[in-house]
Amino acid sequence: MPGDHRRIRGPEESQPPQLYAACEDEAPAARDPTRLRPVYARAGLLSQAKGSAYLEAGGTKVLCAVSGPRQAEGGERGGGPAGGGSALAAALTAAALALADAGVEMYDLVVGCGLSLTPEPTPTWMLDPTRLEEEHAAAGLTVALMPVLNQVAGVLGSGEGAQTDSWADAVRLGLEGCQRLYPVLQQCLVRAARRRGAAAPP
Amino acid sequence: MAAGFKTVEPLEYYRRFLKENCRPDGRELGEFRTTTVNIGYISTADGSALVKLGNTTVICGVKAEFATPPTDAPDKGYIVPNVDLPPLCSSRFRAGPPGEEAQVTSQFIADVIENSQVIQKEDLCISPGKLAWVLYCDLICLDYDGNILDACTFALLAALKDVQLLEVTINEETALAEVNLKKKSYLNIGTHPVATSFAVFDDTLLLVDPTAEEEHLAAGTLTVVMDEKGRLCCLHKPGGSGLNGAKLQDCMSRAVTRHKEVKKLMEEVIKSMKPK
Repeated sequence: MPGDHRRIRGPEESQPPQLYAACEDEAPAARDPTRLRPVYARAGLLSQAKGSAYLEAGGTKVLCAVSGPRQAEGGERGGGPAGGGSALAAALTAAALALADAGVEMYDLVVGCGLSLTPEPTPTWMLDPTRLEEEHAAAGLTVALMPVLNQVAGVLGSGEGAQTDSWADAVRLGLEGCQRLYPVLQQCLVRAARRRGAAAPP
Repeated sequence: MAAGFKTVEPLEYYRRFLKENCRPDGRELGEFRTTTVNIGYISTADGSALVKLGNTTVICGVKAEFATPPTDAPDKGYIVPNVDLPPLCSSRFRAGPPGEEAQVTSQFIADVIENSQVIQKEDLCISPGKLAWVLYCDLICLDYDGNILDACTFALLAALKDVQLLEVTINEETALAEVNLKKKSYLNIGTHPVATSFAVFDDTLLLVDPTAEEEHLAAGTLTVVMDEKGRLCCLHKPGGSGLNGAKLQDCMSRAVTRHKEVKKLMEEVIKSMKPK
C-alpha cells in the first residue's frame, strides 16, 4: 500500500498460486444431514483477558477474549483464526462462552449453529457445514438459541431455493443442533471454573 | 500482606526476590519459562506454528503467493513479515492499524530474516524478472506476557520449517505459470536464528525471558539473536540503562545455550510430525 509506513513493504500485487492450478472441482461427500462435527471447547485460557473461550469444530477455530469494563466502548473483542465452515455460528458460541468465563451476568448462554442447503437436484438442509459444503451451497443459515430459556436469539440466512416451509424445518433443525451442543459447553465452563478455583491463591 | 506490598512498591518487592537470586514465579535469573511449540496448526496456511513461552502465545501463519520480482533484484523473491498485537492479547493495545510496539517487532523480525539469511531470497525466484514467490508471514500474539521477540522469532522459524511450496513450471509456449497441486517441497532453511531476551534491573542484574511485569519494572531490555554456528545475527537494545562489555558477553553465552535448547525442541517436534 503506498504511503503505509506502518507495515513492512512487499510487492505491489500478488496472486495466490491456486489461480494457476488445473481446476479440480471437489464435490463434498454425501453424509448424514443431522450430524454435528465433534466440538472442542475450552474457556479461561488467555492470561491477560478477563474472560476467554476457544472453540474448535472440524477445521473452524475461533478464539474470543473479553476485556473491560471500559467506558461505553463495548467490552468485547473477538479474534483469532476462523475458516472451515460455520464461522459465524462458532464465533457466536465462543463470544457467549468468553462472556460467561469473564463472569458477566447473562440470562443464558447463546449457542450458534450453521446450516447450508445443498444445490439441485436434491436440495437438503445440512447441519454444521464444512467450508467445502458452504462453498457449494445454494443457501446458508445461522441460528442462535438460548437453550435453557428456549428462546431464539437470532436468525440470519441468505440464498435461494427450497419452499418456505423447508426454511422453517431448517430453523428447527438448527435449534435442535444448538440444544445438542449445549451440554458440551456447560461441561467446558464447569471445568474452567474448577481450574480457576484450584489456581486461586489460598 | 504480600499482595499489598507488591501493589505499593513493586520494585522493592522484586528486589527482595532478586537478592535471593530468584524471581516471584520461582524461576532462577537465567531460567526460561516452559516453551511449547505446535507445528502445522493452521490447515489453511502453507506453513504455521504456535509457540508458547509460559503464558505468552504467538501464532505464525505463512502464505505463499506469486509476484513479479523487484526491478532492482530480478532474481529474488520477497519475505514480508507482519506482527499483529490485537487487543485480545493484552488490555494495553487498541484495535486499528499497527501501534508502535507492533511496528518495532515487525521491523525486528524483518531485520532477523535479512541478517541471518534464514532463507536465501534467490531460492524464492521461479523465473528471473518474471515470477517469484512472496512469503507473507503473519505473526499474531494471542496472549501477551512479556518476551514477545523471542516467541515471534521462534514461531517464525518453526512456521518456515513447515512451509511447503507447490511445484511451479513455466509453460514455454504460453509463458504462463503452471502449478502442480500435488507436488510440494520444503523450503531450504539456511540458518536457524534463535532470540534470547533479557531485562536489565538496577543496571547490573540480567533476567532472562522477562514476563510483562518484569519488562515494565526493568530499567532496560536487550535481545540477542544467534545462529547455530554461534554467530551474532542481531542485537536489539532499544534505549534503557547501559551495559558494560562483560555483561554483554554473559548475555551472548546465555544466548548460545538457549539456542541449543530451542534447536533440540524443534528437532523433536519435527521428528514427531507425521509426513503430510
